[in-house]
Amino acid sequence: MSILLKVDNIHTHIGQYHILQGVSFEAKKGEVSVLLGRNGAGKTTTLKTIMGLTPATSGTVTFLNEGITKNATHHIASNGIGYVPEDQGIFGALTVEENLKVAMKKENDAARERQEYVLDLFPDLKKYWKKEGGHLSGGQKQMLSMARAFINDSKLLLIDEPSKGLAPVVIEKVMEAIIEMKKQTTIILVEQNFIMASRIGDTYTLIDDGETIQSGQMSELIQNEELKRQYLGIG
Amino acid sequence: MELIINLLINGLATGMLIFLLAAGLTLIFGLMDVLNFAHGGLFAWGAFSGVWFYGLTNSFTVAIIGAILTGIVLGFITEKLIITPVYGNHIQQILITLGFMIVLSEMLKVVFGPNQIAAKTPPLLSGSWEIGDVIIIKYRLFIILVGILVFGIFQFILKRTKIGLIVRAGVMNKEMVQALGINIKQVFLYVFMVGAALAALGGVLMAPYSGVIYAEMGMEFAILAFIVVVIGGMGSFPGSLLAAILVGLAGSFMAYYVPALSLAVNMMLMAIVLIFRPQGLFTAKG
Amino acid sequence: MFFGMGAYATAVMLDRFDPSLSVFFLSIAVGMVISGVISFLVGLLTLRLKSHFFAMLTLAVSGLFLVLAEKWRTLTHGNDGFTFRAPDFFKDRVMFYLLVLACLVLVYFLLRRFVSSPLGRVLIAVRENEQRTKSLGFQTLHYKVIASVIAGIVASLAGSLYAISLRFVNTSVLTMDITLDALLMTIIGGVGTLIGPIIGAGVIELAQHYLSGLAKEYPIFERWIIFFGIIYILAVIFFPRGIVGTISFAFWKRKNNEQKVKMAPKRKELLK
Repeated sequence: MSILLKVDNIHTHIGQYHILQGVSFEAKKGEVSVLLGRNGAGKTTTLKTIMGLTPATSGTVTFLNEGITKNATHHIASNGIGYVPEDQGIFGALTVEENLKVAMKKENDAARERQEYVLDLFPDLKKYWKKEGGHLSGGQKQMLSMARAFINDSKLLLIDEPSKGLAPVVIEKVMEAIIEMKKQTTIILVEQNFIMASRIGDTYTLIDDGETIQSGQMSELIQNEELKRQYLGIG
Repeated sequence: MELIINLLINGLATGMLIFLLAAGLTLIFGLMDVLNFAHGGLFAWGAFSGVWFYGLTNSFTVAIIGAILTGIVLGFITEKLIITPVYGNHIQQILITLGFMIVLSEMLKVVFGPNQIAAKTPPLLSGSWEIGDVIIIKYRLFIILVGILVFGIFQFILKRTKIGLIVRAGVMNKEMVQALGINIKQVFLYVFMVGAALAALGGVLMAPYSGVIYAEMGMEFAILAFIVVVIGGMGSFPGSLLAAILVGLAGSFMAYYVPALSLAVNMMLMAIVLIFRPQGLFTAKG
Repeated sequence: MFFGMGAYATAVMLDRFDPSLSVFFLSIAVGMVISGVISFLVGLLTLRLKSHFFAMLTLAVSGLFLVLAEKWRTLTHGNDGFTFRAPDFFKDRVMFYLLVLACLVLVYFLLRRFVSSPLGRVLIAVRENEQRTKSLGFQTLHYKVIASVIAGIVASLAGSLYAISLRFVNTSVLTMDITLDALLMTIIGGVGTLIGPIIGAGVIELAQHYLSGLAKEYPIFERWIIFFGIIYILAVIFFPRGIVGTISFAFWKRKNNEQKVKMAPKRKELLK
């Protein structure tokens, strides 16, 4: 399978702190790559660096065989990367409809068709079409944020901890949606919930102290009790 | 009764002028997180260029258009030269816009001379109507109508158009707007230019209202606009209209009934709001 | 603003009472007390806010005092101002110079003592990271109010001396120009240092004399404030640390470059 996104030895500084100190991994087309690691290991920063929100000070990010390391965030997004941040980034005073509309590049028939398709994935959103984003529940916000990132036929989705703070029933729904989206696109997922990560992930990358420890197939990690105990505190 | 109506119209007209200034200030702050202390300079430039265009063509319409264009051009220059280099650094922004304010008002003196300039009311808008005992000065009514019109247009743009949607989203979460593929820097530039144009419009409307224009008027009105932005809530468009009217009316009524307090009334309003509602009457952020 | 209060306190008192040294010193004290009280109140009200609001409000307050001074003509004579007689002691410019110099040295050492006191340390912590200082249990608001009161008092002293040097006050002592001058001096010299503003003040005053001297030959220099403004803007963009800041930063960088590499040992290494 072809490599869609390649992160090669990136270092990122935020203020005077050296957060990422050598993160490398690849995301293959059509797969779900999961970034795993403890709190503060640098998973969120890795996604932000890919998005250009905290640009890398050294190392390269390659997307569709093109270097995007120093590109502006809006260029990266328009190139086809959708971003679902940890806090979901919902515009609180805008309605569900308006939240999606901000992201939509065009307003033609094709775009409307796409919108229908995405809404079929997240039927709840239709129910709350005119509700303000700030008044949605945590799960609904998560759905809205994913729908918004997916509405432009993104080639790659970056999803940051979608299960955080959600009830198990809701997590189940979110997972189903991700599995459905996977049929259409490539996903890089940051996830602390190992059960969820192991069920939907194809490959894993283990990050600790801002550094890639190991990458491989998810099935291998599930077997590797030693790695799980040392870096994820489970097993 | 007629006294009250007169004071009301006075207050509303002043309020609308302050609103034009505060509207740009609050939008620029809300979206860009930039406090533009040079905003009053743009206001004064609007007044001077408007009066100059009026003297040249004898057409008030041309004066207004000329002032707005001046505002747009100055806004463009200000954003590119002054704001962009210090983007994201509050202290530097405050310092640099203060400095630019001085440059703007000194440049006025270089271009138009250091003295006050008299401004005439266009014939069509001068004079007044008498309804019973009530005398309504036409020009004041005109200012109020322009203010309402501007508010209406901007509410429409903010609520109903894509660019308005982007601006509102940007006020709430800039990073996310960028991550959705929108070039926010471009939006910043537009908003800044529009804000400058509004300030210039306020300036040109102010000129016939006060009769004379002078370089320092920018700072005087900017202070009122700052107070309005604080009272109304930074980044809130309706908030700044309401607060501007409040400040205008309070000033006009106090000046008549309790002249001693008229100077302090705005400060008192602001202090009260800050003590009980530090975020202002309205909040724009989610 | 507090500069203006000091100036008016001295001017009004020397005008109303006899121009003696004791009245002069009393007037300095009165100016300081008024400035201290007002900066305390204003600080209490505004320092809870973020930098934007704070700057706006202080500007609004000072605008208000300017208008107040313009209107309260019985006391201030408005924009026309008034002249007054300074104590005979200061007729001799050298004596006056020595007094001002003594004040400068005194204030410099007092402030330096203050910065290195526990109180000053907390203030530096607030500057570096207010959130963290707060979470360490310090009421940062108190410290910020103290800082602004001290700044107000020092400014008032400067105003008193300024009034004496001119033997004239008008409302210009309350305008933004004075604040901007001071800001420019601080920025050129170096923000957050004590020696910086002294150097900055020297540079600016010399430049001012030079530029207004040029005005006789080139009329554009009549408006030398424009050049001031431009220099100021350029300084903010390209020279944000100022003279002193840039020099000491260069030293700091050299010293730190070697140490920095090993600043953040990894957790794995710590565990071993």
